Amino acid sequence: MGIHLTEGKVQVMELDEAFRWYREKIIDKWVGYALETYESSSFFKNEKDKFANPVGGNTREAFSRLYTKLTLGADPGEFVAPLEQVMRIRAIQAFRPSQAVGPIHAIKHITREILEKNKETRHLVVQLYDFEFAVDLAVLAAFDLYMQCREQLYQVRIKEIKTGSFILTDSRCPSNLLKTDALEPITVLQDI
Amino acid sequence: MAVAKLEQLSKSVVQGPSLATGAIPTQDWMDVPVVFKPGNFAYQAKVEKVEYLNSQKDLNFPNAREWSPENDDWKLPEDWKEIILHGLKERLDKFRSLKIFMDCCVRCGACADKCHFFLGTGDPKNMPVMRAELLRSIYRNDFTLAGKLMGKMAGAREMTVGVLKEWFMYSYQCTECRRCSVFCPYGIDTAEVTMMLRELLHLVGVGINWILEPASNSNRTGNHMGLQPHTFKDNVDFLAEDVENLTGVKINHSFNRKGAEVLFITPSADVFAEPGLYTAMGYLALFEEIGLDYTWSTYASEGGNFGLFTNNELMKKLNGKMYAEAKRLGVKYIIGGECGHMWRVVHQYMDTMNGPADFLEVPKSSITGTVFNNAASTKMVHISEFTADLIRHNKIKLDPSRNSHVKATFHDSCNPARAMGLLDEPRYILDHVLDNWVEMPENTIREQTFCCGSGTGLNTDEIMELRMRAGLPRANAVKHVIDKYGVNTLSCVCAIDRATLTSLMNYWNPGCDVCGVSELVGNALVMKGENRQELTEGLRTLV
Repeated sequence: MGIHLTEGKVQVMELDEAFRWYREKIIDKWVGYALETYESSSFFKNEKDKFANPVGGNTREAFSRLYTKLTLGADPGEFVAPLEQVMRIRAIQAFRPSQAVGPIHAIKHITREILEKNKETRHLVVQLYDFEFAVDLAVLAAFDLYMQCREQLYQVRIKEIKTGSFILTDSRCPSNLLKTDALEPITVLQDI
Repeated sequence: MAVAKLEQLSKSVVQGPSLATGAIPTQDWMDVPVVFKPGNFAYQAKVEKVEYLNSQKDLNFPNAREWSPENDDWKLPEDWKEIILHGLKERLDKFRSLKIFMDCCVRCGACADKCHFFLGTGDPKNMPVMRAELLRSIYRNDFTLAGKLMGKMAGAREMTVGVLKEWFMYSYQCTECRRCSVFCPYGIDTAEVTMMLRELLHLVGVGINWILEPASNSNRTGNHMGLQPHTFKDNVDFLAEDVENLTGVKINHSFNRKGAEVLFITPSADVFAEPGLYTAMGYLALFEEIGLDYTWSTYASEGGNFGLFTNNELMKKLNGKMYAEAKRLGVKYIIGGECGHMWRVVHQYMDTMNGPADFLEVPKSSITGTVFNNAASTKMVHISEFTADLIRHNKIKLDPSRNSHVKATFHDSCNPARAMGLLDEPRYILDHVLDNWVEMPENTIREQTFCCGSGTGLNTDEIMELRMRAGLPRANAVKHVIDKYGVNTLSCVCAIDRATLTSLMNYWNPGCDVCGVSELVGNALVMKGENRQELTEGLRTLV
């Protein structure tokens, strides 16, 4: 496709070219928006090592992957893997559901704003329907993932209780079934 | 330039009653009150547990009462403030380290981004420097001239109920893992600041059940689970039978046997809960194979020491039980199993509290002749040190192909790694019991290891979300080696890890098993006279 010259000598781009051209800018802004939902956003934004900064690193990686899928018109099923990378984290943090999913929306507004601001791309805004529809689908998938993660969290909790992988308190210790008298253990211990 | 619709979106979804309330703090940290709601705090201790502990000799757990973190009124004793300030003064006088830690921090920020709680929550009060500042601000106000004269300008503030609640919130969002202290140029042990916060809170009857109940169980029956001696014995007997069924080798173990050479102490979770059970089976098989003259104890039936998570008196008392039992049985030395904080207590505090254990001998392996001079004072050898020494001297036969179902990585459990420097022995063992295994990224292992996120008595289910947040940095590194190398097993040398990492993996990396290093030893061990079945899953195989 590439850049074309129009009569007015203004360079204009086609949509796929614009997505490539502004890739870093859009992703940066998108990631920044998501990370500003955290109180310590500057660290999350600045530290690039994924292991020293799992929230920031995974958000950046996931959004970069997702951006490719959204802009290339990929099958919505392919949104799931990158979305999961970020939703799995946000699902267990101190967010309300809308707060957890919210940042996925943001790319719509960021992209539109960046394209509108530049003469070369302003005309592309009307062509964003398919892209924005893909974002809508991603948001819905993100909500599904959010719910799956929450359910999984409760399953983990139930499993921990049921399997007794760490039972320390009275209420759940099976050995309590042996107790007939709360004072009994003390007596037994003294006999040793 | 701001994006108008985005701003609207931010307003509708980002603002709200949440810890994650947006980018720019609008208030000074001192003015942001803590909010307790289900899921962000561990349940308060039951009255009878606090009363029981308080009734015990040498222990002090006053002001037992019904209360809840969620209520505005915590029903603190009337003179709570005097109690706290007096308690702080007493500790500043008693622990020179505390005084230094309060004075010498220059707030350089080296620790700030090293805490797994901070990395998982983004909550600035989880930066270790800030967590310490919660106490330091009170210290400045009441114990320094600058603070008395200049107040808030000097970072001082008055002790209030709000501050006390903040202490409770954040001293129980710290697992005392000490990763932050690795990076502190002054060597401040921020975990000890958390320990002081918890000690002070106990003075006014503020503590959590998940710690105080196991601690009182331990004081009462000898172990966290509250298992009575016969139950403890039965469980070990069952495990010995399981080993016999799998390997064809009869296990000859004993309990409370006077005159044994070695007393073996491990966390009770190893003899009671999956997946620790398989680690205990590994111990049983190994000791049988080398013919070690050792005994279990139904009195010192717990390696863990939840006293460490409460106050120094209880820590001392629970640690003392192990040594009292070693003395009573007349053993030469103690071998300790795969436990985390037991080793921190033994290496950092035991000598001052209950040592030196002069009635024991400097540990010397009767199999290899190696003298463990590193344990010359505590007389306690780590099972990994002991096993690595056996391997080094070719005293056991190992067949790594028996672990062919395992593709492992190794999690350095915080306390053995950072509190006793046990870094290479488990790795040496893994090199010999596995065909291959892989390391996680460099800044997540060895001294820099990330905590499981649920240590120091925080492994209770009501704060599962908090645990998953705190465990994110660890799980994130595990995910990396799963994706890159197809790892299916996370090995470690800590009982709390074995329990908590299991839940952590179940959320973050389903399908990744958790095991103890001694389980892998048991899997690979070629035993004399064995009649071994086809064990496709090692000691976990159901036959």
